[in-house]
Amino acid sequence: MPQSDAAAVALARDGDSEAFRALVERHSRAVYRLAYRMTGSATDAEDVVQETFLKAYRQLPRFESRANFGTWLHRIAVNCSIDLIRARPHREASHGDDLEQFGAAVESTDATGTSPERLMLSVEVQRRIGDAMTGLSRMERAAFMLRHFEGRSIDEISQSLGLKTNATKHSIFRAVRKMRTALEPFVADA
Amino acid sequence: MRNERMRNDMSTPHITEDDLVLRYYGELEAAGEHEAAAHLSRCDECHRAYTRLQRVMAAVDSLPAPALPEGFERTVWARLEPALPGRPGWLSWLALSPGNLAWIGTILVLVAGAFFAGRMTQPAPAGRASQLASAEQIREGVLLVDLAEHLDRSQTMLVEVVSGEIDDGTLDVTAERAEELVAANRLYRQAAGQTGDVAVSQLLDELERLLVELAAAPELVATADANQAQQRIAAKDLLFKVRVVASAVRERQKARTQARSGSGQSS
Repeated sequence: MPQSDAAAVALARDGDSEAFRALVERHSRAVYRLAYRMTGSATDAEDVVQETFLKAYRQLPRFESRANFGTWLHRIAVNCSIDLIRARPHREASHGDDLEQFGAAVESTDATGTSPERLMLSVEVQRRIGDAMTGLSRMERAAFMLRHFEGRSIDEISQSLGLKTNATKHSIFRAVRKMRTALEPFVADA
Repeated sequence: MRNERMRNDMSTPHITEDDLVLRYYGELEAAGEHEAAAHLSRCDECHRAYTRLQRVMAAVDSLPAPALPEGFERTVWARLEPALPGRPGWLSWLALSPGNLAWIGTILVLVAGAFFAGRMTQPAPAGRASQLASAEQIREGVLLVDLAEHLDRSQTMLVEVVSGEIDDGTLDVTAERAEELVAANRLYRQAAGQTGDVAVSQLLDELERLLVELAAAPELVATADANQAQQRIAAKDLLFKVRVVASAVRERQKARTQARSGSGQSS
C-alpha cells in the first residue's frame, strides 16, 4: 500500500486499482461523515460517498499533484452533497437516522473520568442536537452545516446552493434558532 | 429582527438575535462589527445573549460523528469498484451463460494447475542450492495446504449463503468468520498476484468482495430484501468456481506427495 496520498494518486493515475483502493480506505470515513452531516441521511450519505469517489477517479488526471488529495476530495464531496440536496430538496428528513446514528456515537463515547451526571447531561444534549437536526429542512441543514462546520461564507453558500444571500442568511438564522430552542435550557448555566 | 429591536437605557439599539449570529460567524461588515463590539462591551443584556449563543454553538460543536461499522471502508470499495470506469464488475459474472461459466471453470483449472504444477515440478538443484530449493518447496507445500483449507472454509460459508442457512441468530458468528476469511483471503490473493497467477488472483478477489459484504452486513443475506437474491446468485456462481480451484489444488497436493515419495525412493 502506498505510504502517502501523493504516491497513491500517482499510481492510481496509471491504472493501479490497489492504489485507488488505498485512497478509498483512507478517506471514505471522512467523506461519509461530511456527507452525513450535510444530508442528514445514512442512505444519502452512502450515495454521496459512492459518487464522490467515482468523480474523483474520473478527475484524477486533472488533479494537481501539488494539491492535498484530502482537501480536493472534501471539495468534491461537498459538491456531491449539494447536488444531491438540490436534486431531492423535498425529501422527508429521516428522523430515525439521526437519532440512531447519534445515539450509537454517544454510546460509543469513552466515558472515562466523566461523572454520571455529566455523562447523562452530555447524552441528553446530544439527543437534543439530534432532535433539532431532524427538525431542519434540507436547505437549512445544508446552509447551517456549510457555515458552522465547513466554515464557508454566506456568499459562498449562496452560490453553492443557488440561493439569494438573504435566503441563505435566513436558513442559517432559522437553524440557529432551532438549536437555541433545543439547547439553551442545558447550556445556560453550564 | 430589526423591527423587534429594543432600546436600552443608553438609547442604543440592542443587537438583534440575527446580528449576534452574523457576528458569531464573522459575517458582519467592518462598521457593523465595530458597533456591535462597542455595544457588547457596555450592554449586559446583549452580552449575556451573546454568551448564551456561544454556549449553544459550543454544544453543537460537540455533535459526535455518526457511528460507522467495522469494515466500512471495505464495503465502500466492494460497492465502488464494479462501478469504476474500465473495471469489469464482479456482478458482470452474473451475465455470463452457464456455458461461459463452464469455460471459465476449465480455464481456471488449467491455469491454477499450471501455476501449482509448474512450481512443484522444477528440477531440484544440487548442494546448498538444493537445500534452499527444498525450503522453498516446503513453504509452497504449506501454502498449498493452507490455500486448500481456506478454500474449503470459504466453500462452507458459500454453501450456507446459497442454502439460506444464515439467520438472525447466527449473524454475529457469520460476520466474525467472514472477517477471518477476508484477512486470510487477502494474503492468498496477494501471493497469487505476486506470482503472476491472474486467474487465481481474480477468483480470490471476487471471493473477497463477497466475504467483505458478509463481514460488514451479514443481515443483507439473512433478510428477505432485494440484495438477498443478488447475494445468493453471486455466491452460487462463486461456489462453483471455488470448488473447481479447490479441487485443482487438492490434485496438486496429491501429485506433490507422490512426486516426493518417488524422489525419496530414488535417492
